[in-house]
Amino acid sequence: MEKFGSLILNNGDVFSGRLIGAPVHSSGEMVFTTGMVGYSETLTDPSYFGQIIIFAYPLIGNYGIPTLPEDPGAIIPAGFESRSIHAAGAILAMDSPEVYHWNSIEALDLWLKKFGVPCLVGLDTRHLIQLTRDLKSPLGRIEPKEPEGNRRLGDSFSFELDKEHFFDPGDFNVLPYISSHSRKIYGKGKRRVALIDCGVKWNIIRQLLAFDCEVELIPWDTDLKTVDASGWLISNGPGDPENTGNLISQVKNLVDDVRPILGICLGHQILCLAIGCKTQKMAFGHRSHNQPVQLCGTRKGFITSQNHGYMVLEDSIPNEWDTWFINANDKTIEGIKHRSKPFFSCQFHPEAAGGPRDTDWIISDFVACLKDR
Amino acid sequence: MPLLEILKSSGAGNARKKILILGSGGLSIGQAGEFDYSGTQAIKSVVEQGLDAVVINPNIATVQTNPSPQVKVYLYPVTPEWVEKVIKQERPQGIMAAFGGQTALNCLVALDKKGILAEYGVENLATCVRSLEVSEDRDLFAAQMRKIAIPVPPSIACNTIEEARKAAEEIGYPVIIRAAYALGGLGSGFADNEDELNKLARPALSLAPQILVEKSLKGWKEVEYEVMRDRQGNTITICNMENFDPLGIHTGDSIVVCPSQSLSDDEYQILRNASIKIINSLDVVGECNAQFALSPDSLDFYVIEVNARLSRSSALASKSTGYPIAYIAAKVMLGFDLLEIRNPVTGVTCAFTEPALDYITVKIPRWDLTKFQGVSRSLGSTMKSVGEVMAIGRNFPEALQKAVRMVTELGSGLSHEFTTQHSLEQLWGAIQNPTDTRLFSVMACLRRGIAINEIHEKSRIDKWFLNQLKVIVDLENLLVKESESSAVANIDDVVHYVFDHYTAEKWLRFKLLGFSDEQLASICLASRFKEAFSWSDALIKKASLVIRALRKDKGVTPVVKKIDTTAGEYPSPSNYLYLTYGGTVHDELTPLPPKPTAIILGCGPYRIGTSVEFDWCAVGASQTLRKNSWNSVIINCNPETVSTDYNTSDKLYFEEISLERVLDIYELESPQGIIASMGGQTPNKLVISLAEAGVKLLGHSPASVDGAEDRNKFSALLDQLGISQPRWINAVNKDEIEDFTNLVGFPVLVRPSYVLSGAAMRVAYDKVSLANFLDAAAKISSDHPVVISEFVEGAREIELDGVAHNGKIICSVVGEHVENAGVHSGDATVVVPAQKLYVETVRQLKKAASAIVKGLDLNGPFNMQFLARSNHIMVIECNARAARTFPFVSKVTGLDFASVATQVMMGRSPGIISRKEDELPHVGVKAAMFSFTRLPGVDPILGVEMASTGEVGCIGQNFEEALLLALESTHIVGPKKGLLVSAGPEAAKLKFVPVAKSLQKNNVPIYATPGTAAFFEEHGVAVVSVGWPDEPGLNVMELIRSGKVDFVINIPKNSKRRELTAGMQIRQTAINYGCSLMTNMEKVLSFFSALENTSAKHYGEGLISLPPMI
Repeated sequence: MEKFGSLILNNGDVFSGRLIGAPVHSSGEMVFTTGMVGYSETLTDPSYFGQIIIFAYPLIGNYGIPTLPEDPGAIIPAGFESRSIHAAGAILAMDSPEVYHWNSIEALDLWLKKFGVPCLVGLDTRHLIQLTRDLKSPLGRIEPKEPEGNRRLGDSFSFELDKEHFFDPGDFNVLPYISSHSRKIYGKGKRRVALIDCGVKWNIIRQLLAFDCEVELIPWDTDLKTVDASGWLISNGPGDPENTGNLISQVKNLVDDVRPILGICLGHQILCLAIGCKTQKMAFGHRSHNQPVQLCGTRKGFITSQNHGYMVLEDSIPNEWDTWFINANDKTIEGIKHRSKPFFSCQFHPEAAGGPRDTDWIISDFVACLKDR
Repeated sequence: MPLLEILKSSGAGNARKKILILGSGGLSIGQAGEFDYSGTQAIKSVVEQGLDAVVINPNIATVQTNPSPQVKVYLYPVTPEWVEKVIKQERPQGIMAAFGGQTALNCLVALDKKGILAEYGVENLATCVRSLEVSEDRDLFAAQMRKIAIPVPPSIACNTIEEARKAAEEIGYPVIIRAAYALGGLGSGFADNEDELNKLARPALSLAPQILVEKSLKGWKEVEYEVMRDRQGNTITICNMENFDPLGIHTGDSIVVCPSQSLSDDEYQILRNASIKIINSLDVVGECNAQFALSPDSLDFYVIEVNARLSRSSALASKSTGYPIAYIAAKVMLGFDLLEIRNPVTGVTCAFTEPALDYITVKIPRWDLTKFQGVSRSLGSTMKSVGEVMAIGRNFPEALQKAVRMVTELGSGLSHEFTTQHSLEQLWGAIQNPTDTRLFSVMACLRRGIAINEIHEKSRIDKWFLNQLKVIVDLENLLVKESESSAVANIDDVVHYVFDHYTAEKWLRFKLLGFSDEQLASICLASRFKEAFSWSDALIKKASLVIRALRKDKGVTPVVKKIDTTAGEYPSPSNYLYLTYGGTVHDELTPLPPKPTAIILGCGPYRIGTSVEFDWCAVGASQTLRKNSWNSVIINCNPETVSTDYNTSDKLYFEEISLERVLDIYELESPQGIIASMGGQTPNKLVISLAEAGVKLLGHSPASVDGAEDRNKFSALLDQLGISQPRWINAVNKDEIEDFTNLVGFPVLVRPSYVLSGAAMRVAYDKVSLANFLDAAAKISSDHPVVISEFVEGAREIELDGVAHNGKIICSVVGEHVENAGVHSGDATVVVPAQKLYVETVRQLKKAASAIVKGLDLNGPFNMQFLARSNHIMVIECNARAARTFPFVSKVTGLDFASVATQVMMGRSPGIISRKEDELPHVGVKAAMFSFTRLPGVDPILGVEMASTGEVGCIGQNFEEALLLALESTHIVGPKKGLLVSAGPEAAKLKFVPVAKSLQKNNVPIYATPGTAAFFEEHGVAVVSVGWPDEPGLNVMELIRSGKVDFVINIPKNSKRRELTAGMQIRQTAINYGCSLMTNMEKVLSFFSALENTSAKHYGEGLISLPPMI
């Protein structure tokens, strides 16, 4: 039996659609991604915590969902970026109830149900994206029931607003919700990396292991003085970088040291705040697999995978630091680099998953800076 | 952009620097209209940078061969010899060969090897020749791939048949055979055993010095990536594409979706990484295509091939994504890097980006195999299609269903054969051994309830795609049940009974998955009336309009969406649009300026009879509208065209050219009217129904079009005007035919309205062959009449192209066929100005033309065809639309007929334009381009059914020079090694005697079949007699295979079966072994007389560039 539900935006617009996944209420910031593959990576990316994702590509779920090992200590296989779905919900034009891919065990619908995430299908996603773009990432809510009256899929109409029922992930520090709760060690490689978990994507761990590292995954609020590492990687994650508790001041101490630091996405923003830069919420973020960045001082570009709603302001970069990458479209800061010390960070995702892997050399360069144990 | 600066400062003086751009020549299978798109964008891109373009391409019907002050056009063969002459005359600074397909690329490699580029200081602006060689030579390529750890299928290069056998043993059957340096997979195929290997390898080795024996990967997924790279090494993939048909069918013959549908992120990125790695290792500058085989059940893959140039796939990718690949590639070749080039589609993003799609496109090839008698319809590694369509939708069924309608031009689309009863055995056969109709067979199996798994086992088509088809069938079945249950008997009542109750939501279920109104009508009526339903387009169309009204009552209409390369991430000024039911809100559209607007209907897919010339007409119409302050809106669905470029019109709807869709767009745009006469027969056929639906048509009135199209009406008009025509009859039974042939005698031309098999048109030389044809191939009844007409032999055929204004001719050009009547006008060699017509014939013809134009009250472009014999003319037909000769006559005479016609349609009166053809400084000859090498089994002969896939047109100082150039452009050159003559009719033999004598003086050995040899001996020409194919010793087949002859003349005589079969064998073998072949004596005589009269010394000196049109 088909179920229906509605998407309510905080400007009062309501859209109805077929409901798949879990028949539950959910609310969050409306964001969109234009990546054409990688929905399972996207939905399990902790950076999407508290966000309802509109998928621009209209056919989602075609190749199903791969198997996830049950052992919670195991390395998660490719296809997933964490053990559960972190997005608050998903909006699609069309799903694929039947799946046949050799690596798939279930369809999107069932998988979303398992993780209690609602998803609306049959909406005019292109229109919603343009709306989201123009409203600058409004808040939204998925209701597991059909709106009143005789509505057609995708129809929009006005709705009596109840503002309290919108969840805004930008309102508070979300790290306690997505960071791991205890320290864990992966691998036995030559170099020891402390990975500060702000909502880490597993491909960062997979890549570090591939480059012969031992990775200690540490909760976001770990006292860094108690950690023994030859270098620091501050992970990606959701939310407002300024709303990250004492992490910024902890990172300030790291910068006084000389051990290599790599910041990715939220990690980049936190590093920037720690050295005195300013960040700002963007009109609508970069969430796609086709963001062009330029390596500063060269004519060299890379296509990157991105997912962020805040950016670092250029004027605020201190003297000892250089802009490392800029976005070739809107010229925003995509990375910074210390002039003498092995500190660097990037706004995009060198670990990809999903999306292009053109910048995976950043992680290997970082590892190359680390001293062997 | 240092390179551009270097270019600009190189050479002498301050003159504008020139870039030489090589075209691809006449359209042939494997190398078609896509290169007009790419060349035209490249020219635009080059001229924009303040450089001049010099174009070499004998394809006169293309947009890229339109001369302008910045674009000099040479209509010469794209061969090293001619290109060198152009280089000598023009002294360009740089050369671009990547926009002219394999022809241009091969030419570039040859020019480089001969040291010509170095000698004249011409810089190769794209990928270096060494890399091109690596990409073309499989051995070098495989070695290169091994170096960078990219897997290649086990493959062994072989120079002899023995080596091939050994290689196959080593790799293990099944294997695939490929010829190196061949376009479109020419000479390749699969072999399951040694026997099959022998059959394939021999002819392949005759086409290429080397063949490859490879592991067969049948059943693997076939995935392509389009890659762009600049001199800085910045590399992007524009998109990927997945073949619906797994590996085994040439990608040009496969249904292709963009982007891939069944690939995970991991698979997508692994192949993307591999493409980038490959392209970097080849140091490609510009655009490149990489094809992969991907295992259907693991992450294993192989790279199959790369094309380090623009290709059919890149044209498709460009239209699929909206990213102007050729335009950007040209900029990259001039030295710009991708980061500094703006993406002209968004205006705000840079060219260094990978387009994000929020829709899916489906390409379906157009085969036209029914036009060729004897051709095998099975698909494999050799490409057979002559064109393609692309459809855009928000889901796969929507896009696929659109594409099927676009390519078949059937309103009922994918449901067309849904009542056809094939045996299960037939269906399985068609699925296992794919043909051009496999998709329909898969649908038929699904309709029978056969499980997806079973179909997958036999077809290896990915189950995801099969399930999508099943979704369509499930909906069909729903409608079938509803329709069957209707008790009412009247057609209108049935439609109302079924659809009156449809809610908006129910309508949307069908429309979202791409069902057309005509499709719904035909499913409904066919399932209600079963066998009793006599299929009639008119009835279906009528019912579909009722359906349209009912659904619009419920507010169910499509929305307009935009293609912007960013999936809506940025606002875009793009006006590249499509319609879909997969949405509820129209896109943010950039409004057109407040000017009058006209919608131009394009030509649809290229096919036999409709090709690039109609795109030239549509583009010309658009340019004329814009120049005269009108808005131009184009509707077309052919990704190989210039008309579907993002900046050819003010608005582009990449859509179906169907009644339903044109009405949808007409209602959205409310234009001044529709131009339907510039896109050939596809839009022309819609004129009447569009007019009936209340659409305003610009130009000819629907009554004029009907008067010309309707055979009875047109014939009556000719009678009334006292103009003769070949006698004809619309026969509904055999007695009528008997009476008619008793009256006019034989031969007669037979045109059934319902064809069971084979070609539709046939000449019957006697009662027996007529009866045989009618019994075996055609159905004859009152519903399916057969048109039989007098076939006039020995007559000249003449064409008149013109533009009329309010029933008066305002300009016209006479074109004379070199061949006598009997060769389809699309295959004939045409010369302008006419060379051998009596003044009186021309006077009569013009008088008749004026009377017809007045009688039909024409108001726009037209074309008439006449027969003339001893100063008596007869009219064959009149087309109230632009004809395929329009670009040819326009460019040769310098008067742009497309522009004049468009001005008339805009309601302007350009007045009588007199162009004196006899005052032209040059002569133009148009010749047909055939693709027989790609159609094994076909008899390569000229006849009443058109068989050419393209054409060329050249200008020369005189007829002879122009003829030689045109024929050389279609790969016909004089004999060097030896000539074989097999001239059937006595008259033909006699006519050839003087030619044979003069050839002997040039020491060209002449061979002839026994009869011809005896005749020549009698007339004092010593020739070597060779036996018929079935005779032992040195027979004609062995002779051709031995390579002793390179020119074959075979004039068929319609007599003994043995000679007919033998003739066909000779012709086919000649084609397979790369000989020049001629089958028409008038053409032979003109050609050899031209060869003799054109002194080698002057031929090709002082090349003529095409003067601009006015």
